[in-house]
Amino acid sequence: MNISGNWLAEYVDTAGISAQEMADMLTFAGVEVEGMQQRGVDDDLVVVAQVAQKTPVEGSDHLNVCMVDAGEGTLRQIVCGAQNYKVGDKVPCALPGAVLPGGWRIKEGKMMGHASRGMLCSASELGKPDKEHGLWILPQEYEVGMPLSKLTTADTIFELEITPNRPDLLSHWGIARELAGISGRSLKADPAPNNAETKPAGESILLEAPELCPLYTATRISGVKIGPSPEWLAERLIAIGLHPINNVVDITNYCLFELGHPLHAFDAAQVRGALHIRRAAEGEQFTSLMHEDYTLESQDLVISDDSGRVLALAGVMGGLNSGVTDDTTDIILESAWFLPSSVRRTTRRLGLGSDSSYRFERGAAAWNVLRAAARAVQLILECAGGKAEPVAVAGQAPCTVPEQQAAMASVLEQGTDAKIYCALNQVVLDWKELDVMTGGSVPHMEAACILKRLGLKESTPGQWDCPPWRLDLKRSCDLLEEIVRVYGIDNIPATRSAIYVPESAQDRTHDFRSALSYRLAGGGFREVQSFKLIARQSMDPTIASVEYALPIKPLMEGDVISVALPLSEDHAVLRPSLAPGLLAVAARNMNQGAEVLRFFECGRVFRNTGGGKGRDIEMEVLGILMAGRLGPASRTQLKPKTVAPEHLSAVLELLVPKCELSLSPAKQTRKAAIFGADIQLGGQVCGYFARVAPAVCRSLGLPVDCYYAELDMRKLQQLATAPFKVKDLPLYPGSGRDATLVVPAALRHAEILKAVNAAKEKLLVSCRLKEIFTDPTGEKLAADRKAVTYSFTYRDADKTLTAAEVDAAHAAVLKVLTEKLPGVTMR
Amino acid sequence: MMKEQIVSVKTAALAEIAAAQDMKQLENARVHILGKKGELTLLQQGMRDVPREEKPAVGALLNEVRSAVNAALDQRLVELQQAADEQAVAGVDVTLPGETLPGGGLHPISLVRNEAVRILRRMGFSLADGPEIEDEWHCFDALNTPEDHPARNERDTFYFDSGKLLRTQTSTVQARVMEQQAPPVRIICPGSAFRRDAIDATHLSAFNQIEGLYVDKEVGVGDLKGTLEYFLKALFGEETPVRFRPHFFPFTEPSFEIDVQLLAAGQAPRWIEIAGCGMVNPAVFENIDRKTGKNLYSGCTGFAFGIGLERLAMIRWGIRDIRLLIENDVRFLAQFS
Repeated sequence: MNISGNWLAEYVDTAGISAQEMADMLTFAGVEVEGMQQRGVDDDLVVVAQVAQKTPVEGSDHLNVCMVDAGEGTLRQIVCGAQNYKVGDKVPCALPGAVLPGGWRIKEGKMMGHASRGMLCSASELGKPDKEHGLWILPQEYEVGMPLSKLTTADTIFELEITPNRPDLLSHWGIARELAGISGRSLKADPAPNNAETKPAGESILLEAPELCPLYTATRISGVKIGPSPEWLAERLIAIGLHPINNVVDITNYCLFELGHPLHAFDAAQVRGALHIRRAAEGEQFTSLMHEDYTLESQDLVISDDSGRVLALAGVMGGLNSGVTDDTTDIILESAWFLPSSVRRTTRRLGLGSDSSYRFERGAAAWNVLRAAARAVQLILECAGGKAEPVAVAGQAPCTVPEQQAAMASVLEQGTDAKIYCALNQVVLDWKELDVMTGGSVPHMEAACILKRLGLKESTPGQWDCPPWRLDLKRSCDLLEEIVRVYGIDNIPATRSAIYVPESAQDRTHDFRSALSYRLAGGGFREVQSFKLIARQSMDPTIASVEYALPIKPLMEGDVISVALPLSEDHAVLRPSLAPGLLAVAARNMNQGAEVLRFFECGRVFRNTGGGKGRDIEMEVLGILMAGRLGPASRTQLKPKTVAPEHLSAVLELLVPKCELSLSPAKQTRKAAIFGADIQLGGQVCGYFARVAPAVCRSLGLPVDCYYAELDMRKLQQLATAPFKVKDLPLYPGSGRDATLVVPAALRHAEILKAVNAAKEKLLVSCRLKEIFTDPTGEKLAADRKAVTYSFTYRDADKTLTAAEVDAAHAAVLKVLTEKLPGVTMR
Repeated sequence: MMKEQIVSVKTAALAEIAAAQDMKQLENARVHILGKKGELTLLQQGMRDVPREEKPAVGALLNEVRSAVNAALDQRLVELQQAADEQAVAGVDVTLPGETLPGGGLHPISLVRNEAVRILRRMGFSLADGPEIEDEWHCFDALNTPEDHPARNERDTFYFDSGKLLRTQTSTVQARVMEQQAPPVRIICPGSAFRRDAIDATHLSAFNQIEGLYVDKEVGVGDLKGTLEYFLKALFGEETPVRFRPHFFPFTEPSFEIDVQLLAAGQAPRWIEIAGCGMVNPAVFENIDRKTGKNLYSGCTGFAFGIGLERLAMIRWGIRDIRLLIENDVRFLAQFS
């Protein structure tokens, strides 16, 4: 909201404080000043000058050399490019050294060979609204040589951010009252008339939806003359960024920004009979005065008349059919109270907001209804003439006081023949609460003084009546807040207190995740953080899509959780796996020329357990992606290897090195994988390993071999942090024996190991794969066979084995292998 | 006669050793002098022909020569090895580029999160957590957000058909922890939050925050101020000025926004908004107690704070576009290694 410093100065004594001091004062009391703009000049070097001569500059189509009288005794030569002035006009002249708004310093100079000793100014160059499109032609009565700042005052516009709890600050009077309260400066006379003459509305106003509009007033003013607003009023509106329209409409806007209560003026000639404040019919049409059409619902509140037409969307905007025009002679001025949630619902649904709806949504004070009406009537009679009837009042102020207090509430009474009663909030405040909150640093006397300055009254000791405009003050903590913000947190000493807290499970999870992340980073993997909302399907490879999920458990129909109203199809569902994000990252980086694609991410994945009917579960997982080259090319490694499954296995071995890793081909497929395996650590399934389908890679613009693993972080942490005891180091040496088995090419390593284990040879301590030999040509070995060499180590914990004992053990193992493995031959 | 021979062998041997230019020549020299048929070996065998009275003197001379020769051999060996070592590395160009290993590192959001967590844990906060798919009670009702608050709208918040929503702030964890635990509570929660904002240079619809909560008997504004000043100075530097501006949040009262004054090279110091905080609104405690049916939190006071991790990262590293943090371009990530 924009606030004009000059306008503000009408209501509160701001003498002797600079704009910056004022801004700080407001900001540190909770009214944030987001910006400040200077309008007009306060520099004495900008003076009134009269143009004495004007000679065109030869060779220029627009420049003139002017001799101006700036009251210095001699004429001053200035080159000027404007066209809209003549000899004898009085215009603003910035003398050398003057600083114009925006920090523009005027210097002597030369233009096309002619000395120019200053600048003749337009209104906009002086921060004023530009009307003439050229120099600012000043009134002839202005005295030559007078500083312009003495004739038209400069202004500062403050851009304020008002928090939603303080609708009472959405006006100049509101800010003035606040400024007086926080600074102790005196507040000047209230611009609203003391009281207004009222009459019961009777049948002229029908409150047909009292739950949305419990109080409505209308004032008929006949014989008004519509025309432009007086200069002072138009200037104030322009200063805060509004466009003057006509005197009546401008006055309703002026009152809104003066007192904070929205008003609306109808052309009385367009209103047939009584005003009906009712809910709209479903599908009812409304054309706003901005010529936009809207379809209404029964949740919307409208102002209508006997003809049934919608004259206005209550509290939001007037209709095209009933607005004030140049031909209007009689008006009906509305001042009412609308339920905030109702106005909010309508503006949000229609995407139609206004200065008026902004205030009603946040909660206008019913106390202001009559004040604003009376003030507007006063101004309209002053500026547009006419004759006003008493304010017709229908309904009563809503009770905003908590019910249990209502009975004993103090009540303000407004109006004459039809009264409006506003109950005041009453709050009990125990100073002990203040002492706890501030560590006893705020003297009670001073706290009481602050509350009084803010308009509260201590009706009985410890009980405070809140002013009718402060609907946000309901409980003692609201009062404490007022005291603390006005007293200033700077004046409350900082303390450092702490208690011992036990380490939580989340602390340990955080530590495990950090350690694992640094381990992977050390292994040459970059951590990424990808978006948790992904697409169901996307043509753009850099957008993560559910199609490429490679979750630990296969996805079932309905497992994926969709948001009801996504921002875009690209972010429509919660990721059930980290693979889509990591693949999109790989695709993006491949696109940028990266050849080594090694990424990991640690984060939550989401799914519904029962195909959309069960619980939503969230799970921390680790995703690791390896694609393309194993490492960067260098002068010694011109063509680094491409990534193979064993490279990713090697990384998996690093995660929990003390647990044995094994991969077993997965029974259930994931669409995006060409093959996959369950990852077992220490015998527990805790992840899924996949070669991403080359077709998927190609469609992602990732024409390289790509491997991915997703692991359950909770299981990894359990395994990694499980207690254990160290094993004794062997006292006796082990003996090695190698064996080469020729087996069918399709026989898996895991099956051979299974057979080795089946031998249950007590002396065998390890069996390690040494070499695999194949010969596709079939010369040295049949093409459908492979020769696999294993190194076996035998050891006895209690003695050194003799060669014969080792041989016997080895032979026993090989015998089992021959029995268990079909088609095996020994070499 | 014998003595002269010995002296001349010695002279020749030492000359030969000195002349050896590589290990092989030195080995040849050793064999030539000390081998089975080496000159000194032969002379030693000649001892039996030496008259008895001369034997001690000749023997002593032989031993002396043998030691001298051995010493010369050892010394020459060291010299030649040294020369060979130097020769071996003579062509090494240390200015050549290093072998490239695949680079790794943590994401900047993890880096700032870990740092914030480290500082706060040192201050006696422990970590807590809660679901990202939340219900309205924990996200709004418990936190004193009115029924018709703008945030409770499907245009501002991601809802699901189930009526649940993606938490709009990590403050939900305040309610989660308090309903499970009796005071005192001293927790932090780093985590994701979601708002239905279109993504641009300064907004993400999913972002990260770190939330803090301290509840006990007689916690005051001074504690809030002391704790957050200490935390922010630890984060931004001991000399960093910190200020509190009154603000409004439904779940705290009074509420403040916190600014830190930061210096950028060649610029005037600027106040930058960094966090929101406040004293827990008593309505929040009442909501928790009503839900649990236990009267654990009446009479308690406390403070809460929240800080945006993306913003923290952007300020710290001068990141101009927040989208860099979700694009994960290696050229960007590599700068944090």
